[in-house]
Formats: sequence, C-alpha cells, structure tokens
Amino acid sequence: MKISFTLNKEKVTIDVDPMKRLLDVLREDFNLLGAKESCGEGECGACTVLLNGKPVTSCILNAIHAEGKEVETVEGISKTKLGKLIMDCFDETNAVQCGFCFPGFFVSSYYYVKTDGEKDLMKIKRALSGNICRCTGYEKIFDSVMLACERSN
Amino acid sequence: MKFIKPKDINNLYEIIDNIDRQYLLAGGTDINVQIKNGIIRNPNIIYINHLKELSGIEEENDSILIGSTTSFKDIIDSRIIKRHIPLIHSSLQNFASPLLQTSATIGGNIANGSPTADVIPILLALDAKLEICSKISCREVFLKDFFIGYKKNVMSNNELITKIIVAKNAEQKYQTFYKKVGSRNSLAIAKVAIAGLKKVENEKIMNIKLAVGSLNEYPRRLFKVEEYIMGKTLIEIDFNKVNEYLQQEITPISDLRSDKEYRYHVCVNLIRTFLNE
Ligand SMILES: Cc1cc2nc3c(=O)[nH]c(=O)nc-3n(C[C@H](O)[C@H](O)[C@H](O)COP(=O)(O)OP(=O)(O)OC[C@H]3O[C@@H](n4cnc5c(N)ncnc54)[C@H](O)[C@@H]3O)c2cc1C
Ligand code: FES
Ligand code: FES
Repeated sequence: MKISFTLNKEKVTIDVDPMKRLLDVLREDFNLLGAKESCGEGECGACTVLLNGKPVTSCILNAIHAEGKEVETVEGISKTKLGKLIMDCFDETNAVQCGFCFPGFFVSSYYYVKTDGEKDLMKIKRALSGNICRCTGYEKIFDSVMLACERSN
Repeated sequence: MKFIKPKDINNLYEIIDNIDRQYLLAGGTDINVQIKNGIIRNPNIIYINHLKELSGIEEENDSILIGSTTSFKDIIDSRIIKRHIPLIHSSLQNFASPLLQTSATIGGNIANGSPTADVIPILLALDAKLEICSKISCREVFLKDFFIGYKKNVMSNNELITKIIVAKNAEQKYQTFYKKVGSRNSLAIAKVAIAGLKKVENEKIMNIKLAVGSLNEYPRRLFKVEEYIMGKTLIEIDFNKVNEYLQQEITPISDLRSDKEYRYHVCVNLIRTFLNE
C-alpha cells in the first residue's frame, strides 16, 4: 500500500505493508537509526518519535498511523534551534552514558520544553515517565532538562 | 491476513458486515503487543483511526459524547471534559505514560476489555453508556451491561463502539474519588483500581456509586456494597459487612487467587478512605 507522510519536514511516499511497525519503517526504509528498539512493547521509550508534534512509541504503531501526518525523529529535531539547545544541555550535564535511551529522552524532552518549558522537576519527571534509562539514575537527565528550560526562556 | 482502510464510516459498516474474524485497528497499543506475542495470528485488520466521525468530544443537550477513537491525551486536554466531568480529567493523568496517552484510545481500552483497563471503573461510576452501531442500526448500552465475561462483551462481529456517552451532570453535587494501587507491570504486587461518587447530607450518605477494576474478569459496579452503605452515616457502617458484600459481588480471576484476601482488604480500605474524606 502507498503511504504518504511528512518526515522531518520533507514529504515522502513509500510502498509498504501498512501494518509494518513505524519504527521499522523509519529504520529500514529511511535508514533513520536514531529511534531504537529495546522492549518493543511500548514500555521503555527508546523508540520515541513525534507524530503530529506529540511523542509516541513507534514500536507499537504501524505505518498506516503515519499516513497524512507529520513524523519527526531525533535526526530532524536535533537540527532545530531548540533541538540544538537541548542537545547541548544533555552534553554539559553528562546525562548520556551508553546512549541507547538518549534519542527517546531527547524527543520527550524536546516536546516538554517546547510545549510547556516550566522549570518544575515534578512536571519534568512526569513528562519523561515513558522513558527508561538503565545507566544514569535519571538525576542528570532531569538536570539537563531543567537547564534546557532555563535557557530556552 | 487482510488489511482494509475504509473510505468512510458507511463503508466501514459494509466491511464489518461482510468479514468474519476481524480486528479494528485504532491506536494499536493493545493489538500490536498481542500480534508481537503471538496472541493474535493472521488477523483481518480494519483501520478506523482516520474516520472523523469516530473521534472528538462534543456536548449535545444534556450529554457529553466522546468519539471512540479519541486518544487519552485529547480527553485529558479537553476543556469540555475538564469543566463537566473533572473526575475523568484528573483520574486519567496517570494512565500508562505520556507516550501511550497520545496513541491509546478510549474505545480501544473498553473494547479490549482487560480487567485492569483504567477507564472502565471511572465510566462505570459515572453511569456511562456506549453507542454501538452496525450497518443497520445503532443502540445504546449501559457500560455496566456491556461485559459478559473475561474479555467478552455484548457486541457482535458486525458492530463497533462509536461513542461513549456521559451525562453532563453525572458528577454534579457529588464528591469523587479515584485510586489505583500497585503497579500494572509487576504482577507480584496486587493492583486494585477504584472509582467512586458520593453525595452526603447531614452526615448521611444519600447516594454512592462504586466501581472496581482488577478484582474481576472485568471491571464492575459494586451494587450490593452501594445498597448497604446508602442511607447510613459513617459510624453506622460495619466494614466487615462491606467486605462480605464485596466478596459476594466478585468472582476473582483464577491467576489472582493467591492474593485474593489481600486485594479484598485493600479494596475495603479504599472504600473506607473514600467515606472518611
Ligand atoms: C506499555 C503499555 C502500557 C499500558 N498501560 C495501560 C494503563 O496504564 N492502563 C490501561 O488501561 N491500559 C494500558 N495499556 C493498554 C492499552 O494502551 C489501552 O487498552 C488502550 O486504550 C487501547 O486502545 P488502542 O486504541 O491502542 O487499541 P487497539 O490496540 O487499536 O485495539 C484494542 C482492541 O479493541 C478493539 N477496538 C478498538 N476500537 C474499537 C471500537 N471503536 N469498537 C470496537 N472494538 C474496538 C480492537 O479490535 C482490539 O481488539 C498499556 C499498553 C501498553 C503497551
Ligand atoms: S522499544 Fe518502543 S517502547 Fe521500548
Ligand atoms: S544512558 Fe544507557 S540506557 Fe540510558
């Protein structure tokens, strides 16, 4: 089936099984390897992307869910001004260790800073509650988002 | 396996009238996990998430109508819901995770019918109805009458849930309560979810509505407990009796039997907490 959508601001069309997981479409058909697979069941957030501006786990969505919509991945978002600012904050606070979870945290953080942006730890924790990190213990990740909120204001 | 994307809602009714075993694909958060784990094999899939008629929240006369493919995020963000049925707004805040809230739909949560489905006890306490439609006609069914067993309901194969209907004044003059205990992912910990509405005058409980999730094969209203409590003041209530009525009303799921007593205990304590508020 032919499916058209906007991917990182570019119009794209592919001929694909409409039930193929959106995560696999991004990784296999577009070679966008930022979004990762870990649990494959919506629990860990490693595969987070934006769908029509809102964060979703792409491992439990299908290609058809993207049709006519806008998909943004870590690759696209990190090129925006706000994306760069957040990237720098993660960098400065040493919030990334193995990095496997980072694309997911980055997308969720971007959504939070963009749509709310209040420097409020409880709100930030809730916004990132769909993402899991095995390495950092979260504190540094929260620190980077706090810093991003401060700088983006 | 077949995949069909209906042109419009009438086309959808035609299609489900003609196909035997089928799954409607809304947000996909249940179906995709079931496909991955081999619980669903070679399904006929009919996509419904693009149909405008099935999504959105509106006011109509004395009712709030919630389209079945409305996402939890849109429900939580809805001004109509916040204004008229704040219980829905506040109790869904902790649904799954923000990432799931964007995809998961209210109709999918009800139709999938898990004993732990979060929205069902809330809607039960609010006396919600479902609009269920097929090619030929639409009917309204009270949610309390919708389930007939573990993941079984009164819908036939050529029907789907189109709307969830809640009276605008469903929680007017009531105090509301919602509590979820334990975690969904760790099966070792008991989980009970309870939603309640109560109306108290001169310390007397004039009206009470209680619904629980996770204790039964499907979430259920506690009519016997309600009847016992109604008309009493707090000191007149014997919580051993509440426990007895609770047990009469519940047929625990077999794999949860080991911690059955504990679950009853938690549930009675939650009812006590609510009545004390
Ligand atoms: C990581 C994770 C966490 C979760 N956490 C929670 C949680 O905290 N609480 C909770 O309650 N649930 C939770 N869920 C379960 C799930 O997200 C919800 O049940 C969700 O609301 C299902 O909606 P959907 O649109 O994704 O359903 P789908 O997967 O699209 O469909 C589910 C079922 O409903 C049927 N269906 C869908 N729409 C209709 C309709 N309009 N009429 C008739 N049948 C229909 C489909 O045929 C299918 O059988 C979780 C799931 C995951 C993966
Ligand atoms: S891989 Fe998608 S949520 Fe874990
Ligand atoms: S840095 Fe390793 S999982 Fe988060």
